[in-house]
Amino acid sequence: MFEVFLRSFNEKVPLTPEEETFLKQYLTPKKLRKKQYLLQEGDVCKHICLVEKGALKAYLVDDKGDEQITAFALEGWTIADLSSFFKQTPATLNIDALEDCELILISRPAHDELLERFPKYGNYIRMLITDAYVALQQRVVNTLHLSVDERYIAFQQMCESIFQRVPQHMIASFMGLSPETLSRVRSRLSGKK
Amino acid sequence: MNTKQTIAIIGANGSMGSAISRNLAKGNNRLLLFANDKEKAEALAADIKNSNAASEVEALDCPANASWEADLIILAVPYAAEKEIAGTIREVANQKIVISISNPLNASFDALVTDPGTSAAEELQLLLPHSKVVKAFNTTFASDFTTPVIAGQQADAFVAGNDDEAVATVSDLVTTAGFNPIAAGKLPVSRTLEQMQLLLIQLGLKNNYNWLAGWKILHH
Repeated sequence: MFEVFLRSFNEKVPLTPEEETFLKQYLTPKKLRKKQYLLQEGDVCKHICLVEKGALKAYLVDDKGDEQITAFALEGWTIADLSSFFKQTPATLNIDALEDCELILISRPAHDELLERFPKYGNYIRMLITDAYVALQQRVVNTLHLSVDERYIAFQQMCESIFQRVPQHMIASFMGLSPETLSRVRSRLSGKK
Repeated sequence: MNTKQTIAIIGANGSMGSAISRNLAKGNNRLLLFANDKEKAEALAADIKNSNAASEVEALDCPANASWEADLIILAVPYAAEKEIAGTIREVANQKIVISISNPLNASFDALVTDPGTSAAEELQLLLPHSKVVKAFNTTFASDFTTPVIAGQQADAFVAGNDDEAVATVSDLVTTAGFNPIAAGKLPVSRTLEQMQLLLIQLGLKNNYNWLAGWKILHH
């Protein structure tokens, strides 16, 4: 139930068995079925979510009602509307399950108390948010500086597992492309092989 | 709130469990019903769906799985069954709101079996140390759920718990169920709430309230 999260935590910040027990009391285990919402736009994001099993996506809905995917999360990854979580303002993102999921949730009160009482949690969160910031910066740089074909290759190399589990139209949405454009990119690249 | 809340109701086949299920199905809730007799839980789920096609309700065959999937858990079981259920759901109920509805009555309904210095809710909190136990729905009879307005007055329903956010969440459920929620205080207030229901039961038996009675605070 907590294995993937604790493994991810231990890789960043090693814990003693006693510390694992202490940390576990603050975690909320939660199952979510495919297509169910973890968060809907307009609600305050109450949890940081860590994926034990399954896959989720975060997305905006545009004026036409189309989904614009901003993030995916697979096993061992984290997903939330961080702006809403930290500022306690209504979420702009929706988060739902692409597959049946087993999740670990950390509520805002649990997060605040852990930061105060357990310095190793602070170290873990700092590393998590640093990684997320670096990935975000890389995504912005790639969007501004790489061609569409290069961006596709870079994304595929970085997140091969997503390509195996997520339909192409969602990859297109995440890259800000139409499915037709993505299809042309794939044809071009497969022609080069 | 837009995001649907998933509620596990353990003991959904009892009179209180089924009454709570029927009323909470009217709100923005997804219900997971568990009963020892799964056929009864399935029949209740089908009945709720029949009367309210938009409701999301389903019978599950394992209380731990229902509680794992839930955001909030209602233990609609007798006091004597709480200990065993608590052991089953302890890990998956971590950090979640667990509502205690029970009144620890003796067999002749004329006294509580708990020590005066504690309550069923506080005992449950000791069994689920990392859950947010909230006392609610213990001062309302099952038949009140179909008639929450009695003699022209909406019955009050008292809510007690140590976590203010959890008390507010449960108060919203009390409103959905049709009652007027009153945040009564921290969890030890459950001692009073459980005694109040003992008194109401005794008065009901004496004066033939026919199990349709409730508490109302009158104020200006």
